[in-house]
Amino acid sequence: MNRNAAVAITGIGCLSAAGMSLKENMDSLFAGRRNVAPPKRFSSSHPAPYPVFEILEDLFPARKLKNEDISRTCSLGLTATIEALKDAGLEPEGMTGLKAGVCIGTTVGSTMNNEEFYREYCNGMHPDMAIIERFINSNPASVIAREFSLSGPCQTVVNACSSGTDAIGIGASWIRSGICDMVIAGGADELCRVTYNGFISLMISDDNPCRPFDRERKGLNLGEGAAVLILESDNLILKRKKKARAFVLGYGSACDGYHLTAPRPDGRGLKNALSDALMDSGKTSGDIAFVNAHGTATRDNDRTEVRVLREMLLGIPFLSTKGYTGHTLGAAGAIEAAFTVGCLESGMLPANAGFTELDPELGASPVTDVTGISQKIAISDSLAFGGHNAALVIGLERE
Amino acid sequence: MGIFINGIGVVGGFGSGVSDLVTCLEKSTTPLKAQGTVYGPASLADTSHLEVFVPKKSLRRIDHFSHMAILGAYLALQDAGMPSLTGTRTGLIVCSGYGASHTTFSFLDSVINDGDACASPTLFSNSVHNSAAGHISILLKLGGPCLTVSQFEMSVPSGLLSACQWLQEGRVDQVLFGAVDEYCDVLGYCWQRFFGKHNNRIMTPLSLDRQSALPGEGSAFFLLSRDKGDSLKHVSIIDISIGNLVNEDVPFPRDAVFFLGADGHKRCDRLYTNLIPPGTQAACYSPLYGSLPIGPAFDMAIAALSFKEGKIFASPESVADQENYSIIKRNSPIASRSISCLKLGKEGELGMITLAPGS
Repeated sequence: MNRNAAVAITGIGCLSAAGMSLKENMDSLFAGRRNVAPPKRFSSSHPAPYPVFEILEDLFPARKLKNEDISRTCSLGLTATIEALKDAGLEPEGMTGLKAGVCIGTTVGSTMNNEEFYREYCNGMHPDMAIIERFINSNPASVIAREFSLSGPCQTVVNACSSGTDAIGIGASWIRSGICDMVIAGGADELCRVTYNGFISLMISDDNPCRPFDRERKGLNLGEGAAVLILESDNLILKRKKKARAFVLGYGSACDGYHLTAPRPDGRGLKNALSDALMDSGKTSGDIAFVNAHGTATRDNDRTEVRVLREMLLGIPFLSTKGYTGHTLGAAGAIEAAFTVGCLESGMLPANAGFTELDPELGASPVTDVTGISQKIAISDSLAFGGHNAALVIGLERE
Repeated sequence: MGIFINGIGVVGGFGSGVSDLVTCLEKSTTPLKAQGTVYGPASLADTSHLEVFVPKKSLRRIDHFSHMAILGAYLALQDAGMPSLTGTRTGLIVCSGYGASHTTFSFLDSVINDGDACASPTLFSNSVHNSAAGHISILLKLGGPCLTVSQFEMSVPSGLLSACQWLQEGRVDQVLFGAVDEYCDVLGYCWQRFFGKHNNRIMTPLSLDRQSALPGEGSAFFLLSRDKGDSLKHVSIIDISIGNLVNEDVPFPRDAVFFLGADGHKRCDRLYTNLIPPGTQAACYSPLYGSLPIGPAFDMAIAALSFKEGKIFASPESVADQENYSIIKRNSPIASRSISCLKLGKEGELGMITLAPGS
């Protein structure tokens, strides 16, 4: 099996607090718009609300779903899929007979943690079992496969915050090995009170809009959203006479083996993931236009990440887009892969929102203004709880 | 495909380690525990054996879910002769239907009882689905690729597909592949609401008029490699099929014995009866490990042990006999047949893992 073969991306769908389509998202990024505010869908008893990046628009208004009693995470994933399929020029009936797989990353979307149900259970009440049935019917990859009657492999990746990146890497391997002609790959995650309280309990949430890589950064803001890439085999592209938007050139994954919630200070796992992704792609650091970094704005993440980028990709522009979307957990890697394609296509990088002052400990600043780029290859990386790291090399051209 | 199984580690209500599983297969029974469960009897796992491998103090902040996974992983490595795992050439894949459910609800307890501002950070970090993989990677100092998959009943075939992909791509030399699920009272309560409180002591899978599933918990791990090395009589994974009954003809291998993942849920058990080709020989072992999403991992372990022992173990007597195909009720020679572990989901999802003697 050839690990080095490029895999075509023929369609992209993306939604976040920055916009309901990839175009709207990119417009927000380049305009520097940040839709960050206290949560509106749930309340909390924290003395001051921690801001979030929440999607307040209706989801998939243009389509009647086969099953509408699904989780918000699945609704987000389906909305991104509908945009991506349209972008790829694929109609549901056009997928009949294809070996089509679904690989979706998530965190909240796979967790049985409904607070309303559990409160009633604890109080000896008779909670509505429809909540549990909805959970059982809401495996994100299965929901997408069911909606479009796909019968290929189905995988929900739950690698915490790198899930979306991993899902794209895994989906690409299904194309390379011939298991699939087409893969719907990406990530989806919703905001919920449970994770909101969880990240606050870890003292890695900022009570102001997040400031990735900034000297005064205090932590992350949660967000919600989804992104889906349509990956296609060369045979299918030829048959459909479809042009690729971009290519997955490489994927790497490695664990730290260090700590459950903190990155390994020397960044060994991230280095290994980046090395593997570059090796897959056959590219070197000199080919890379920029790095769409994980950049959560936590003290530890940003320190480790910049240390590794300085060691391996010195001088290459880097930025975090979480200042526009918040940390969308299992969706983050997919949303950032979509943004990476958007930036390569536009030949520009947005400013790293929230950054104002260089942190001497990091010794490097992210992109601070909208900046032109000329090269056609970039990296998107993710670091996750569990000590997991993943990276994608994405290019506009196959070679 | 040609992926070899070099070690197996299992933990469940039957005990821990392959010898306990084989003993249970020979006796065809597993003790059920009723204590502490709100639903009724359940097949629960004891992880005290873990202290043989890991100092107790290193385990104190780690929950039962991860304990089961860690023990399964160590037992698989022990079974494989404790090979070196350093560097980046060993991958880790963990599959789970529900994740660390007990800890997930304990975290909610901390919020409900103590308020939002007093939520427990330790419980939160251990409630994340990939916590078991994180703990294993830390304890074993792994540096290779790592993946956690959650696809309910299809978690095992789906995760195994990725393990085989990594090996075939040459991304790694070996993969520590496993699956884990735990029982908790909230799950038991959900079972009670869906199926009614019960006093079943025995699961009777494939008896289509009766809901007989009993909750189980445990883990099953495997050390997989492209190199047959000292593998268990050279048992290899030769095929993984993942699909959906709605859209496809099922590519059943000829001359295979089927290990059916039927686990006493009426709705799903009916699917097996309608699907298995007439004249087929099949076995079913779910009464020995209980009903849990990662059941196919136990069937895969039993299949590998069948090749090692040179026989198909008898299915427990409680497995209902079928009209169109035969349920193996006595130990029988395996001959040159392959074994296909078949799992069907309630929506018609299909996962099939086929094992054969590796050449």
